Amino acid sequence: MKSEFFTVLRSPVFWGAIILLALGPFVLPSYYLHIATLTLIYIALASSWNIVGGIGGQISLAHSLFVGTGAVLSSALLLKLGINMWLGMVIAALVSGLMGAIISFIDFRFRLGHLSFALITLAFAEMGEIIVIGTEALGGASGLFLPKDKGDLLAFQFGSGAGIFWVMLTLAVGAILINLAVLNLPLGFYLRTIRDNEAAAQAIGVNILRNKTIAMVISAMFTSVIGTAYARYLTFVDPYQLASPVLTVEIVLIATVGGLGKAFGPALGAVLLIPLGEILRGKLGGSLPGLHYFVYGAVVIAVILATPRGLLPALQSRLASWRGSAKSEAKKPSIAAPGA
Amino acid sequence: MLEVHGLTAGYGGNPVLEDVRIEIGRGKLVGLLGANNAGKSTFINCLSGVVPASSGRILFEGEDITRLSPKSRVERGIIQVPEGRLVFPDMSVRENLLLGGVNATARPRRAERIDYVLDLLPRLKERIGQAAGTLSGGEQQMLAIGRGLVAEPRLLMLDEPSLGLAPRFVQYVFEIIDKLHADGLTVLLVEQNLNLTLRHSDYCYVLERGRVVVEGVSAHVKDDPRTKSAYLGL
Repeated sequence: MKSEFFTVLRSPVFWGAIILLALGPFVLPSYYLHIATLTLIYIALASSWNIVGGIGGQISLAHSLFVGTGAVLSSALLLKLGINMWLGMVIAALVSGLMGAIISFIDFRFRLGHLSFALITLAFAEMGEIIVIGTEALGGASGLFLPKDKGDLLAFQFGSGAGIFWVMLTLAVGAILINLAVLNLPLGFYLRTIRDNEAAAQAIGVNILRNKTIAMVISAMFTSVIGTAYARYLTFVDPYQLASPVLTVEIVLIATVGGLGKAFGPALGAVLLIPLGEILRGKLGGSLPGLHYFVYGAVVIAVILATPRGLLPALQSRLASWRGSAKSEAKKPSIAAPGA
Repeated sequence: MLEVHGLTAGYGGNPVLEDVRIEIGRGKLVGLLGANNAGKSTFINCLSGVVPASSGRILFEGEDITRLSPKSRVERGIIQVPEGRLVFPDMSVRENLLLGGVNATARPRRAERIDYVLDLLPRLKERIGQAAGTLSGGEQQMLAIGRGLVAEPRLLMLDEPSLGLAPRFVQYVFEIIDKLHADGLTVLLVEQNLNLTLRHSDYCYVLERGRVVVEGVSAHVKDDPRTKSAYLGL
């Protein structure tokens, strides 16, 4: 099976683009640097979700639980117990991984269909938000304030806007590389068989529980790490933002618009939707209340109607047919073989 | 080779299969017939472990496999070709075949098995790099059978391989099954197509509403009036 993973790893275009992006903080004014940082966060989040939701086809609505754990738990450990946030990040990631494994097991044990799985993960996410809001040690409804970022790396502080931008760039690239790696490992093929048809996957002897659990644990742990970094970026850890299922809906939307199951699909979705949402809010937010949401929604509907399988697959097939038509002028199209 | 004793199974309390007893001897081509809703697919899914048995025992080469996972059964060579030719549409023909041999038993000889399948089903060779979803229905059925064969079956279970195929493809699929049978493979053929199945199989069972109502050497089953009534629901 061909290895796209190594092709990308060796690609000068890929690394060149990253180096160009890394120069962003030197040229972008702070408002646009904020939008860029936010875009990277959502690239990372949507790409992590893509492992379960896109490649594995399991529409998990529990991912706010993992973002929330990464953000709230690590912050609470720092503020209430004085535990270093790096360690807090690791602890939160382990807790998230464990929760992911438990959710996968419940899914397997009760043979949940796609719809039941989505609804049950949503219920877990709602519970998670309610638990955070009701628990004073986790900041309760008023949230947590992290100490000011003084750029002390050992304390999980990255200094100016540039530092945290590079952290998010690293996480976004990391999430995309994990997607590529998964897609090219046997795990990725097994996940795609499960997505396409669970019965056929079982018929060839794919271990459903094992593969779903591995995907969920990888996705949950990486999402949790992004959550910790997100909390550090925001400084104010608001449970209504970071532990709310609304966050998951944004993630799912971005991944779907970009292209489910493709390594670069969610990234494309984030690059389109996050700046669009932010800029619309900046330009229209002050005029008529809700107008920016209306325009944003209209754009999303238009994109989904125009490219139902996602932007990236649509672009790829457009490119392929363009190349194909260039070729077919030189060569006659081959005649379809008759039926056997 | 395979013995099923008093198998009862169903979904959510109401049994689809009741007290089914079936035996398949090594190298035999055994047919399992029945109208829609007779329980044929449930039975095959019980054998592959996708549907759990609520009571009864399944013995494979003397070993009780009733509680084994689908994966362990695949490793023992119990291979199902699912109904509706469930190939993986976005993957190429080659990738589909490779996935047939991912179980621990078949993996070491996977490359040879694929060569064997491509010799048996030359159409797949022509289509090797194409996405499985772009194949015709008959070709997809061949791919589903080919994928099952890569898994090195000791018992091959075909769930309605003729369903929805053009007549000449049906003929072709049965020729392939005959060839596999002649080479000594044990086959369980689950079908609605009464005449073709009776003509090609050694022994047949007829299911009606989850129970075996007729069984016997295929030539006798054909003449049994209960076979017709099971089909027509009289």
